[in-house]
Amino acid sequence: MQPIFELDSLVFADMLRQGTVSLCKDKKVINDLNVFPIPDGDTGDNMLMTLKAGCAALKDNMGTLSELASAASSGMLLGARGNSGVILSRIFAGLTKGLKDVIVADTQAFAKAMDAAVTEAYKAVPVPVEGTIITVLREGTAGADPKDDLNHYFETLLEAMQTSLDHTPELLQVLKDAGVVDSGGAGLVSIFRGMNDALNGNISHEEIEPTTATPVPTVELNKFDENSTLEFGYCTEFLLRLMRSKVDLDTFDEAVIIDYLNKVGESVVAFREGTIVKVHVHTFTPGMILNEMQKYGEFLTIKIENMALQHHQSTNQDNASFKLPPKKYGTVTVASGEGLIEAFRGIGADEVIAGGQTMNPSTQDFLDAFAKINAQHILVFPNNKNIKMAADQAAEMYDKAEIHVLPSTTIGEGYYGIGYIDRDNPDIEDVIASVTEIMQSVVTGMVSTAIRDAEGDQVSVHTGDYVGYSGKQLLSDSPNREEAAKALIERLGAGSRDVMLVFFGEEVPQNEAEKLIADLQNQYKNLEIMLNNGAQPVYDYIIVCI
Amino acid sequence: MLTFFSDTDCDITPKECAEYGIKMISMPYTVGDQVIYPYIDFDEFDSHKFYDMLRAGTMPTTSAMSEEAYIQHFEPEFAAGNDILYVHFSSGLSNTFTIMNQAVEKLKAKYPERKFYTVDTLGISALCYNIVLEVADLLKAGKTAEEIVEWAKVEVPKFPMYFFADDLKFFRRSGRVSGLAATMGGFIGIRPIIYLDNAGKMVSIGKETGRAKTIARLVQYVEELGEDVKAHRVVIGHSDCPDIAAEAERLLKEKFGQDLNVITTVVNPTIGSHCGPNGMGICFHAKHR
Repeated sequence: MQPIFELDSLVFADMLRQGTVSLCKDKKVINDLNVFPIPDGDTGDNMLMTLKAGCAALKDNMGTLSELASAASSGMLLGARGNSGVILSRIFAGLTKGLKDVIVADTQAFAKAMDAAVTEAYKAVPVPVEGTIITVLREGTAGADPKDDLNHYFETLLEAMQTSLDHTPELLQVLKDAGVVDSGGAGLVSIFRGMNDALNGNISHEEIEPTTATPVPTVELNKFDENSTLEFGYCTEFLLRLMRSKVDLDTFDEAVIIDYLNKVGESVVAFREGTIVKVHVHTFTPGMILNEMQKYGEFLTIKIENMALQHHQSTNQDNASFKLPPKKYGTVTVASGEGLIEAFRGIGADEVIAGGQTMNPSTQDFLDAFAKINAQHILVFPNNKNIKMAADQAAEMYDKAEIHVLPSTTIGEGYYGIGYIDRDNPDIEDVIASVTEIMQSVVTGMVSTAIRDAEGDQVSVHTGDYVGYSGKQLLSDSPNREEAAKALIERLGAGSRDVMLVFFGEEVPQNEAEKLIADLQNQYKNLEIMLNNGAQPVYDYIIVCI
Repeated sequence: MLTFFSDTDCDITPKECAEYGIKMISMPYTVGDQVIYPYIDFDEFDSHKFYDMLRAGTMPTTSAMSEEAYIQHFEPEFAAGNDILYVHFSSGLSNTFTIMNQAVEKLKAKYPERKFYTVDTLGISALCYNIVLEVADLLKAGKTAEEIVEWAKVEVPKFPMYFFADDLKFFRRSGRVSGLAATMGGFIGIRPIIYLDNAGKMVSIGKETGRAKTIARLVQYVEELGEDVKAHRVVIGHSDCPDIAAEAERLLKEKFGQDLNVITTVVNPTIGSHCGPNGMGICFHAKHR
């Protein structure tokens, strides 16, 4: 094979794809490099999905190397999942910066771009930790030889990365204790190995399965129509003056009208301003709605149009001649499990992104959620350390509202945080302060099945046992789930707490959960205990105490 | 003769009407499109069923009474030559009394010698109940309506009610409590403590975590603010959580003695529509509200 002295967009595209193939092969091995004995935070999956999003953004005839790198980087930025995915997307963002305006790159130019990638990677992390992916990138880049052709560069780069990866347990005690190398670093090495293969002509032409995750963004998200069968009917708009003779104006709740409209019509946009209710609704029977409205008031104006005759055949809320005024605060959070998602909606979350430990949401998922909320400020509760970075990334990219990412690292913090938002308080800083304060008073524990042996300060964990833990602290272990839960709850200090919420997961039968609660209530008489069917995967019990 | 009126928002039932000679004004509430008048459309209030309905998601509404309704209640008394004393719930919480006053003005024009006295309890539920019974005592002791109105000026501000609510959506919907933060309530076990001020308005003055602490806090208010507590009744009102009311009674008797005169009422459905299930309040005699 002839040595390559210039990298163009075609070769680089092949390198990216081959990097993806390589990562796909190594995905499971990388997932298993999990330090914590819980099946969480799948680094391999996250990095793969991020990389796939980058490949999906590539088209044929990409033009210059700079343009290609930029396209891949944009795709990765939006598809980034998990901390490792976000950092990976920033590495390629840095590479893109370094390759700005470059049509084809020689070794020196590429080496310089790698330096830019290192800088960007370190900037991406608030507190850089050595012994992780950024170390492998840095030491790899430092050890690569730019004085010859690109094949030689990549060979020395890969060698230095591998050495660095093997060395990570020496830098991070937790890796050494678990007997593994850093998973993010391993993912990076796998990717660059694939890139090296492509550079040397070893292209496997494997089909990269299309990513089943979020697609590249389409243009007008609001045009997405859930009411796809509605094509005819009347677009009905009116202003209704609520009458004192018909309703008690001081106590009247317009939700009565809005609930009714949502039952009998479509595309309802309705809100109240003083004693006027503004309504826009699509219906087959406008007369029925008008009659019903006269229970509450009299009309100021009425406009009814047959939608078959309307110029724009738009059948959604966009054709309302007025827009809902933005509310002050909106909330976005992340949870998985039907019951848990419902609980979050019940506590006031506007958008609950389905996903949690095993399937971290991407930057795009957050952007989609933001777009659905019409508010001045959007508070985001990621509920997981591995999701916060994607949320931060989305916050930086979104400009239609002020996004505030709260540091919730557990379901419990998110739940109480959202419940504590004072929607009548106009001072956002004040709201954030009180939310942050309540989050600090909450402690969350989980019960899961251990996927490996592990040693905690207080317990030895055995594979297959039920392990109770809080944060990264292993607190209980037992082959009996109930025992593990009870021991966990005791170690969480339930005796000195006032309230405990228990969310039981999809693996737990209802009567087992109920029996546990009954026993606990007997044991802790002054503790207010509430049971919730979270139906969540992975965590049999999520315990929240305050 | 003086006719003693009260309303169902004061938690009075046919039992009290019979015992104390009260004429009842039934305040309606609406479920779906059905308007229900307590003790007219039903004989006994099935509180558990009602509050279970609220727990399941139904949110009844209430509205002011009409002028005609008030005239229908009061005119027969005036026509029979009686004066009226009406002990009613807080005018700060409903504009039904504006309408009532319009009706009374019309009646006074028609019956110029007749007199209409009111005691605005500036409260709801257990608070009103307590004052209604105090007025009943005064009437039995032979006090006149004028004396009772003078008594009320001094004493009504000395009957506070401190209570907590469980599901704040009922309060928020009615828009009647100031100082309420967020979703709070039973979902997260942090409940606001609310009281009725001297303007008869509901104000939230703090919050408590966990049911045990919340009940203890209410009892603490009785301890701190109470004056001549044992010389009067302590009325505990609850919206279908009798065990919580019982716990409060136990703590109160522990503090004040087993001979403390404690009465428990179930919050009537009209007020219950605004406060929701699982709430509890204590009304007692105090230095001030």
